[in-house]
Amino acid sequence: MSHSLNEIETMSKRAARGAGLPWGLAEEAGKTTRWLSAYGFPGVNLLVDLLEMHDALPILDVSPVSLEAETWSAPIGRMSPLIANASVSDCAARLLSRGTITLENVDLPLLAVPSIGAVASTLGVSVVVEWQNARLVADGSAICVEGDPKALEARHAAKMVFSIPAELKHRQEPMLRARLSDRSWSKLSAFAHRTYAPATEESRQLGAGSSRNDND
Amino acid sequence: MADVSRRDPNIVMRLARLGSMHQSRLSFMRILTRRLARENWRFERAAFDIDSTGVGHAIYTAHGPDRSYSLIAYAHDLPPEKRSDRVIAEAWDATFTLFDGVPTAEDIERLSHNIPVQEAGRVSETELSVSRANRSVRLWEHVVNVLAEGRQPSYEKIAAVGYLMRTTAVYGSGKLGAADREMIADRPEFRAPFQVEMLSVYLTRWFVVDLVQHMAKARAALSGTQAAELDAGIARSIGIGNSTGLGMAPFLLNHPRLFNNWITAREDAIQAVRNVQWARDEEIAQFHDILLRNIQLIESWQSQHPVQMEKLAVLGKDIALVKGYLSRTDLSMKQPWDALYSWSEEALSLEGQEWIASLILEPYGALVDKFAKAMASDDEPVALIAGATQIGSLRAVLEDVYRWAIDTDWTVPTNMARAWYISEEKQEPRLGQRFEEPIEEYEQPLAPGRDAAVLYQALTHWPDEVEVADFLLENPEHRHTLRRIQVAGSSPYAEIRDNTISNSMLPIDMLRCKLSFFGATKFDPRSDRWVRICMYGNAPLPYELSQANADFWVFPSSTETTA
Repeated sequence: MSHSLNEIETMSKRAARGAGLPWGLAEEAGKTTRWLSAYGFPGVNLLVDLLEMHDALPILDVSPVSLEAETWSAPIGRMSPLIANASVSDCAARLLSRGTITLENVDLPLLAVPSIGAVASTLGVSVVVEWQNARLVADGSAICVEGDPKALEARHAAKMVFSIPAELKHRQEPMLRARLSDRSWSKLSAFAHRTYAPATEESRQLGAGSSRNDND
Repeated sequence: MADVSRRDPNIVMRLARLGSMHQSRLSFMRILTRRLARENWRFERAAFDIDSTGVGHAIYTAHGPDRSYSLIAYAHDLPPEKRSDRVIAEAWDATFTLFDGVPTAEDIERLSHNIPVQEAGRVSETELSVSRANRSVRLWEHVVNVLAEGRQPSYEKIAAVGYLMRTTAVYGSGKLGAADREMIADRPEFRAPFQVEMLSVYLTRWFVVDLVQHMAKARAALSGTQAAELDAGIARSIGIGNSTGLGMAPFLLNHPRLFNNWITAREDAIQAVRNVQWARDEEIAQFHDILLRNIQLIESWQSQHPVQMEKLAVLGKDIALVKGYLSRTDLSMKQPWDALYSWSEEALSLEGQEWIASLILEPYGALVDKFAKAMASDDEPVALIAGATQIGSLRAVLEDVYRWAIDTDWTVPTNMARAWYISEEKQEPRLGQRFEEPIEEYEQPLAPGRDAAVLYQALTHWPDEVEVADFLLENPEHRHTLRRIQVAGSSPYAEIRDNTISNSMLPIDMLRCKLSFFGATKFDPRSDRWVRICMYGNAPLPYELSQANADFWVFPSSTETTA
């Protein structure tokens, strides 16, 4: 069964919120899985893994200490890829002046990648990200994947480097649908479920606000 | 005289005014019917396989220059106790999907297991929308009955309701597995917003007219008599109802750029017409004609809701004032439309002002219709944050766009009385009492004013020259709001400049605003968070559509009784 990308984005956003992320980062989690799914990566599976791995970890513990540092690192030695992704996106202009942003000890590094598409669009130059034997280049409308496919789904990257400029040796265009396993979708839904208020008869009547008869 | 500028967002973007808006030339239904006629679309009833109890399916196909679209309708025999307009309903009188192309027998079979159960089913990328409708029980029974007896239904009874069926949800853009808007947004016929949904409803209206005729024939056959054919004029007067609840209200908050583009298009149009230096005689004549026809439409607008009854009473007085103004004012004066609009700001209620603002656009298709092109938004709702923006400029936007919110005392309980949340059932938005129900921990980010004020406070000790990227690293809880403020800073009409969680907020204001852009008429609130409307009343049926009737159908012709 295939899913629409809007379904994936909406459910991912709710799941990330359900796992305790602030709304703004939850929105980016939705964009992240949408982007990864559109390029055929298991974005939903990775997000579920991350939410399970980081459930209840304080955000600042898994965020870079400073965006000015030569190398970005998190206080507890494990960085959230969602926060890495958002911070790289926020630092598009700095990437242009620095040429390189280096991050240390990022969990599930593929989840930190989608910002390169948006950053490339904003800057008008292709952006490359590399870790271990993985290498991805994006120019805003397509990507180019090189290196070891297994490294793409690494659980952890000791070092991740974002840099410009780069060249797309071939072009992989995004797709408009995605196939997911029922298992990962139901895990994602379980996180999303935490954001729904349990219904009461009172809320059913008052919350939506029509108790009048519709047989008229 | 100096050029008239666009209306100030601080005036336009207040809930009371947004909740007084009327349809216009830029309404999505009228954009659609103009295109269908201009491009000479062809319509056919490809199947009507419905039995004498009203159960079965039908297919209506619209053929455009490049592509065809088919409404697949499933008709059901619904027991009255199951008839509910609420989103928690589980059965309906009829269910629909707009199919991309012409469906095969396999498609019909596959969808017959999924469309009738709506949210409990799954659809695919060949389905563009999923919707359902319930009968107006009293009008349906009246029309079936009198047609079966060989007579025509009464205009008065039809006018009192306006429609035979009302849709209770029309889902598009990826919901339930349907095609995302991104899959079809580059097709010219779907560039303008909500054209899939508007086409679906337009074809649904045709199906409903056919179904009521079919049921009348079936009833007549039981008694061995001959049913009357529904008069074409009466059929045209019947619209499609729509019953809309809270679920639609957050849409305007969740799509700030898209909302900005709708309002901007209408404001650009109003500005362009106010800047017309001299009106031609035929434009003045057309204005007077449309005015009279529009007054007829308003006279047939009924509501039992106290808020709307009051607004209608005031609008009635406004109409008398407008007639008085026009009797003593020569529209061949310089900048007549600016003079009329400026007078309305002083003399009329918000309902009357917005009525005039839409009305003056009518004679100016050549000037106005082009603004429809800018009503779509290809930008994602989750905008990219410009991290290099300095705190100083963020603060300046806050002080400009959110001044009202910064000046609001958010410790006063009535200013914070409500919270928006998503219910466990059907996962739809609801509105609760923050201080009386256990909902605050589930609150959705639908109070941008409150959130902007909190952010403004948090920025107090941050120097102007720091970049927002650094602020966000330390304060990730403000990420949603900061993103929103950057959108509002570059899109003047993106933000509702009012409190969306106060105890006096009326969700129907948001519903009315959105539905006015659809082109709805006869807003009839059923509560402060639930509204019924009429769509396509007086419109030509698809097989009657021509360039001559594609635009002004919303206004009943002066000789015709209105629905």
